[in-house]
Amino acid sequence: MSDTIARDEALEKRLPKPEELNPMTRESLAAAFAGESQAAEKYLVWAEQAEAEGYPNVGKLFRAISFAESRHARNHLRVMGGIKSTAENLLAAFEGESFEVDEMYPAYHEIAKLQGNNQAVRSINYALKSEADHKGQYTGAREAVMAGKDIDDAPVNVCLACGHTIIGDAPEKCPYCGATAELYKTF
Amino acid sequence: MAEPFKNTPPAPEHQGEMTAANIAAALAGESQASQKYLAFADVADGEGYPNVARLFRAVAYAESTHARNHLSVLGAIGTTEENLKAALGGETFEIDEMYAAYMAVAKLQENKSAQTTIRYADAAEKDHQAIYDAVGKGVDNKQDCGTDAVHVCPICGHTVIGDAPDECPVCGTAGVYFKEF
Repeated sequence: MSDTIARDEALEKRLPKPEELNPMTRESLAAAFAGESQAAEKYLVWAEQAEAEGYPNVGKLFRAISFAESRHARNHLRVMGGIKSTAENLLAAFEGESFEVDEMYPAYHEIAKLQGNNQAVRSINYALKSEADHKGQYTGAREAVMAGKDIDDAPVNVCLACGHTIIGDAPEKCPYCGATAELYKTF
Repeated sequence: MAEPFKNTPPAPEHQGEMTAANIAAALAGESQASQKYLAFADVADGEGYPNVARLFRAVAYAESTHARNHLSVLGAIGTTEENLKAALGGETFEIDEMYAAYMAVAKLQENKSAQTTIRYADAAEKDHQAIYDAVGKGVDNKQDCGTDAVHVCPICGHTVIGDAPDECPVCGTAGVYFKEF
């Protein structure tokens, strides 16, 4: 559905437009983008919790409001000029993943180990390993798009436990967390 | 080597302050990455790259699994009763403090698009505040909320329980475009 919107000019006109922002307003929107993004993720997780507790309608409500927060995140990002052409977006995505793989998660990993926080180490390891997958996948996609081509229509499989991401079939067992193939989500 | 699969997200634990701050920062990073990739997927669809769009959506989902794992470690996944209270608290902070302050700055600096995106969000957070308040009272008494559809405006996030309006009262988008849950 969101796909339709991107191509619907009448709707696109209603979206807030990118503009030259003063530094303080930019700072506000960046913080609001962080807040909306985290709210969207929390509500998805809390939807699963509600469903597990036997509140399917509360679950549905959390999903709906998560979508609303996701629309706010997109609007803030758009005003900040953070949505560009696909070639540029792929470069920004690659750079974000590279920072996480080369800087952020290795540093966080050391500190979590130092402090003996084993569950944090696990959560960091799962993320670190899959960000490395993404780095490679975004590199390949950018090369294709720079040549004016789409990537192949192979399935993309994602481990629901740790986020391991693979272009092609799901493995029998996740190499990062050991989840079996049926726990992969196919895109 | 893969560790044995426990079929559970990493569990809550008592953390050092630095580790807790880092996991909170990582949660912020993963959440923002996920939302960026969803927006980038729409652009890729619009430019005629459906498979790049699919890759973006898959990776957005992967980032969501990381966000969930970090939330779990932080102990931020409570019971539904607790989660609804936390949700109400978050929405209330956004309305009373955050967006009110940001709007004042955006007006002072005459940043018009910023005012629009803040106004859209603030209006929808008021919907959410009222909804979470009402639903939280039901769940306090172990009652699920009603089976009514929930409709969300794809432009501004206006959220209604029941049918979509003819036109969004916040941004004017036609009701046929609302997403139904």
